[in-house]
Amino acid sequence: MTRETSTESGQEKAQYLIFNLRGEPFAIPLLGVKEIIEYGSVTPIPGMPEFIRGVINLRGRVVPVIDLAARFGEPPTVIGERTCVVIVELHEETGVQDMGIVVDGVNAVSDIPASDLEPPPKFGAKIRVDFIQGMWKSQDRFVIVLDQARVLSVQEINQLAALVEDTQMA
Amino acid sequence: MTLDLTAALQTYTVESQELLEEMERALLALEAGREDPDLIDAIFRSAHTIKGSSGMFGLDAVVAFAHEVETLLEAVRSGQQPIDATLVTLLLRCHDHIAALVHSTLDEDAPADLLAQGDALTAQLHAWLGGAPGDNRTSDDAWHISLRCGQELFRDGMDPLSILRYLGTLGELISVTTLDDALPHAERMDPTSCYLGFEIDLKTEADKQEIDSAFEFIRESSQVHLIPPGSKPAQWAELIQALPEGHDKLGEILVSTGVLTRHELAAAMGIQVIDSPAKPLGDILVEQGLAPREAVNAALGRQMHAGRTAGERYVRVEADKLDRLVDLVGELVISSTVTTLRASHSNDRALQEAVATSSRFIEEVRDAALGLRMVPIGGTFSRFQRVVHDLSQELGKHIELVISGGETELDKTVVDRIGDPLTHLVRNAIDHAIESPEERQAAGKNPLGRLQLNAHHENGSILIELSDDGRGLDRQRIANKAIERGLIDSADGLSDQDVFQLIFAPGFSTAEQVSNLSGRGVGMDVVKRTIEDLRGTVELENRPGQGATVRLRMPLTLAIIDGFLVSVGDARYVVPLDTVEECMELGEVGRRDYLDLRGEVLPFLRLRDLLRDTTETPARQSVVVVSYAGKKAGLVVDRLLGELQTVIKPLGEVFSALKWISGCTVLDVGQVGLILDVPVLVDQAERREATSGHLTAALR
Repeated sequence: MTRETSTESGQEKAQYLIFNLRGEPFAIPLLGVKEIIEYGSVTPIPGMPEFIRGVINLRGRVVPVIDLAARFGEPPTVIGERTCVVIVELHEETGVQDMGIVVDGVNAVSDIPASDLEPPPKFGAKIRVDFIQGMWKSQDRFVIVLDQARVLSVQEINQLAALVEDTQMA
Repeated sequence: MTLDLTAALQTYTVESQELLEEMERALLALEAGREDPDLIDAIFRSAHTIKGSSGMFGLDAVVAFAHEVETLLEAVRSGQQPIDATLVTLLLRCHDHIAALVHSTLDEDAPADLLAQGDALTAQLHAWLGGAPGDNRTSDDAWHISLRCGQELFRDGMDPLSILRYLGTLGELISVTTLDDALPHAERMDPTSCYLGFEIDLKTEADKQEIDSAFEFIRESSQVHLIPPGSKPAQWAELIQALPEGHDKLGEILVSTGVLTRHELAAAMGIQVIDSPAKPLGDILVEQGLAPREAVNAALGRQMHAGRTAGERYVRVEADKLDRLVDLVGELVISSTVTTLRASHSNDRALQEAVATSSRFIEEVRDAALGLRMVPIGGTFSRFQRVVHDLSQELGKHIELVISGGETELDKTVVDRIGDPLTHLVRNAIDHAIESPEERQAAGKNPLGRLQLNAHHENGSILIELSDDGRGLDRQRIANKAIERGLIDSADGLSDQDVFQLIFAPGFSTAEQVSNLSGRGVGMDVVKRTIEDLRGTVELENRPGQGATVRLRMPLTLAIIDGFLVSVGDARYVVPLDTVEECMELGEVGRRDYLDLRGEVLPFLRLRDLLRDTTETPARQSVVVVSYAGKKAGLVVDRLLGELQTVIKPLGEVFSALKWISGCTVLDVGQVGLILDVPVLVDQAERREATSGHLTAALR
């Protein structure tokens, strides 16, 4: 779904949104991205894992917002001037779900040919390997291309939330 | 036929279901002792219409069975067959069978056991009539039917073949002649138009109305003429004149099929010239002595009536579309509040007035949109007539069900989901509460037990009451059972209400003898759960020896909530207003989390702690006293922001683990407010302290 075939090169490639997180570039498929908005008015939801920053009102729809840094087990994102929320559309089994991800800034949209994607390193990225779809060499540095379905898995978030709820109960 | 019939078939089943409901209502009213010929007419009409429309779809099984029922009903209607309770019971079973047959049309052919069941019932119907269906209508001659199909016939989704097929079920088709005179030249022919005409001779015992009903759906577009057996030449003349084909041709056909002799034909042709065809059909009918004037007037009256109800017809709309509309209107209300706020800050008087006008309309639009989801509860109520009938018969009890307030409107979701819990309550009342006639007589009561179902508005919610005049709730028995089941240690100090609420505890059952009807101990807890899921409450009122009343208090609508807005730190929360008892200031309290509420110990929950709010605690905090199911608790919040009415939105899949939030809402400032689920909050707090409160306290 995230791929489109380019007839010129006969090679499969797709567009990706490149964004910054703690000074490092990451990429997600552009196709699922609905819009990018300024960070603000996030209502925190207590009792959820730390990486859920809360919910925002997106023109009447209530959309959960995820702190990607915290999701990767790093300290939560510090809100700055360029902080924004990327709204992505997820196709879950239960239906379509919008979700916002907090990023430190959006850099570019790039075409990445499937053949240019390197497999993720077995270790060293300090990010769960299953979160990484691949690595892409852009100019002089590696961009981590995220496996959006894994990173934003509603099922996993649910399980983690239930865990938090349980520990609070104890 | 290449047309897709699925949609039409769906309409057919829905309509049939409505007719069947009407039939059932009438049957039950008959059983209740109302001797009203209108009722029998209503039953007959239902069966007849179902037969007619089933014939259109070629559903032979339904047609055949409905015909048998109709024959018996005809005998009842004409007074040949007296109606009594046994017959009503049989007819009710027939009703069920028709319903099953109609239902099965949605899947495949009727399953074999269903047909076998039908045969058994047919045999019983025949037995009632004393052998073969009555042949009181004797006629050796055949009816002659002239049909000229309208060009729209196919496009209207009709098929002359199914009409012929239906006619075939009424009797024997002696001859069918197809006329293709209207067929234009090939280049001008439209394959979706119907150009055919038919001359049909039908030998049948059916009466005129019955035959006529075959053409019910095409009468507007097509020409239909019915000539009864043994008609006078004048009538033939009328027919020949009215039809577009040449006189000679038609005459030939009539002669060739043996309806008319040459002589008769000549006589008819003679009259033809004189008679004026411009007269209204009714007048001609009367003139020719075909039908009495009253009958014609009655028929005309019915036509007008049919036209009127068609005008009030319902529009079936997908529930999702409706929800989306209600959702959008909710947003509109919220954004209009913002506009009003902005306008009030400006000094533009004209703008303020314009905004005030539009916001008034928006509120009206909201009410109208919410009204779309409202349906009367009556349909659900009348279902219970049958439950009461069947169950009381099975148990040998005499019980009447009195329904009132059926016109009260509720949210569609509530109406859909309240059926099952209500059924359970009704069954319970019949099984456990109402005594046998002997017991009742011994207790000096009317042997006829009485169940009352009532619905009405009260304080912005809907109250559904189920009252019985049975033995009432037995506090001692309930308490004993609860102790036996380990639900409580002792009933001492419990209020009656507390004891009665034990009925709703999972795994509770007081029926000493478990019957197959109720008393399996499953159910009452499910009843309560369902009601609470719909944001309703269950109350019990006991009148020892005189009966009991179960009160279900349901919200008017599920889409909007009356709430009380509070804030904790920067976040805002909505407490459902129906759980709020009062508000007060949190004065000086010690280390313990309870306070003195006019001499009562009121435990409270500090929302700040629960929500892990890290902002600075304000100097003065407030307490919202909430209560549910007889429990009271305080919620300590930073600030009280007042009442509001707001649209509920689900928080979504991601937050499904958070049980203490029942949803959220978009506040006028655009911020999201969380709606607290008070019962869950309080229960969680109770459990927390009961299990590990001291442990964590010791660890701190």
